[in-house]
Amino acid sequence: MSFAFAHPWALLLALLAIIPLYKSGQKMLTYSCLALLPEDNLSLWIDRGLRFLAGLAALLLALGIAEPYLREQWVEKTGTGAHIVLLVDRSSSMNENFSGTYLGGTAHESKSALASKLMVEFIDRRKHDFFALVAFSATPIYVLPLTQDHEAVRSAVLALGGRGHGITNIAPGLAMALGHFSGQPVTGSRIVLLVSDGAARMEPEIAEALRQQFQDNQTALYWIYLRNPKGGKLTEAPKNPNESTTPEYYLHQYFHSLGVPYQAFEADNTKALQEAIAKVESLENRPLTYREKLPRQDLSGLCYGSALICWIGLLAFQSLEVKAWNI
Amino acid sequence: MTFEEFHYHIPWRALGSHPGHHTGVQSGGGFEFQGLVPFTSQPDPRYLDIRAMIADPMQQLMVKSFRQRATIPVYLLADLSASMGFVGKAAKTGLLAELATAVAWSAWRTGDPFGLYACDSQIRLDLSLPLRLYKGMVSGLSERLRAFHPKSNNALGLLEAATLLGRQRSLVFLVSDFHFPLSQMEELFNSLVRHDVVPVVLWDSGEYENLPRFGWAEVQDPETGQRRRLFLRPGLLQRIRERFAERKEELTQICVRHGREPFFLVDRFDPDAMTRYFYQ
Repeated sequence: MSFAFAHPWALLLALLAIIPLYKSGQKMLTYSCLALLPEDNLSLWIDRGLRFLAGLAALLLALGIAEPYLREQWVEKTGTGAHIVLLVDRSSSMNENFSGTYLGGTAHESKSALASKLMVEFIDRRKHDFFALVAFSATPIYVLPLTQDHEAVRSAVLALGGRGHGITNIAPGLAMALGHFSGQPVTGSRIVLLVSDGAARMEPEIAEALRQQFQDNQTALYWIYLRNPKGGKLTEAPKNPNESTTPEYYLHQYFHSLGVPYQAFEADNTKALQEAIAKVESLENRPLTYREKLPRQDLSGLCYGSALICWIGLLAFQSLEVKAWNI
Repeated sequence: MTFEEFHYHIPWRALGSHPGHHTGVQSGGGFEFQGLVPFTSQPDPRYLDIRAMIADPMQQLMVKSFRQRATIPVYLLADLSASMGFVGKAAKTGLLAELATAVAWSAWRTGDPFGLYACDSQIRLDLSLPLRLYKGMVSGLSERLRAFHPKSNNALGLLEAATLLGRQRSLVFLVSDFHFPLSQMEELFNSLVRHDVVPVVLWDSGEYENLPRFGWAEVQDPETGQRRRLFLRPGLLQRIRERFAERKEELTQICVRHGREPFFLVDRFDPDAMTRYFYQ
């Protein structure tokens, strides 16, 4: 439990807490002879209590200003579930709908928006899985490491539903996605879930390196191919095979040759996309120990809150104050 | 101009030789029969008593002798310690000024000389009057008394003033709230033992009767500077009232032991009540 202050100098203000112990700040009334008044223990203890409360309130305020916090911490967590890296295409073609019409950045029926929506549903259903997120277009973007914090993953995926830019460059994305697994002991089934609407030619050396990584990390690959209805199917060889015009077919072939479990789902409409995602959802799990970082916790609110409680007590008695002998 | 006036009456004989209102010890012109004396010792044929002469076997000439009525000095000793600065239903200094005016005026009407000693830790000569025949209160003094802000933390000047009252027995109005220890009171009465002391207890109902029913008050004693915070509530008010009733009893006892019951002057001065006090 590590504890620190954002503004330690403000602790000097705590010295002011001495003042209410000596000064009440109340309007003083003159009474001719105190010796004649009977002793009253209740008044005595209320007086002490109020002085103490006022001092405490000042102390808590000083503490609040000093902003105490618990430092960020690493906690060990054990989770069960598949480790899924979502590798999501953010190229400009994702802004289109399934018929190939450009819908603009904010359209809800664009492929990226739909994919985001369905992925969120998928994430919501898989409570025990770990997710990582990599977005890619021309270059990959590291979004989230493997985590069970579904709230963070959800938000990140939803954020991807916006407008995409650039071309589809799949190889660096795959490399980064696999990077999440490399050097880690195998503790659960590993999946790279590639969501894209196209592919690009891959240099043979890079293809070889990726193949090696897939095999080393024992990672399964699922490809949800958001196919344009006019585009070529993955399973049918195109009429004039060429890696520049129909890279999807060649990519499909390459994935088959990886030597790891691979499955492609062609989704050329919303319903097919839903089905494709439903299929991915049947994977066995093994427990995994991992470390999660907890952000630092601000405790100043607690201080202000307790000071407020003290104040309520003080205010109650202030409202009862006799300001003048009302005779 | 009307003044509040009361009548006072003393149950003892005035020692003074000045003709006045009160029964005296000197023989002279008057209506109070003192006795029969031989004509030779008081050769005034107007007072020859034929009946007494016939009854006298020696057939001496006898005259009736009468006692002359006399004046007494009337003093007012005022406590001006800080506790007299209390302002409740009325300002205590205001009540004091009112009472002093009434005493001065009544003394004049009775034909007695009046003297005033206002005392805090010493005698305040600026607020005092030497013993003279004044026609009522000296102008302006009443206002000055009323406007005075008592600050001293004791009333020891009263003891000093007691030594200045002279040897002749006088009527002394001792005006104070008597918020000082009973031992000090005893000492004061002892130093005034020669005189007829009328203790006037100046209290305010705001001190014990009319306190706020409910509230949180911080109070300070102007004499000791001591502070206390009080949670005023009906139970505590009841105890304060009981404490004052007890105090009243204590004061009455100690005053009765030294001659007279105290006159309690609370909130307002009623001259008729003062008259009743003397004649009851």
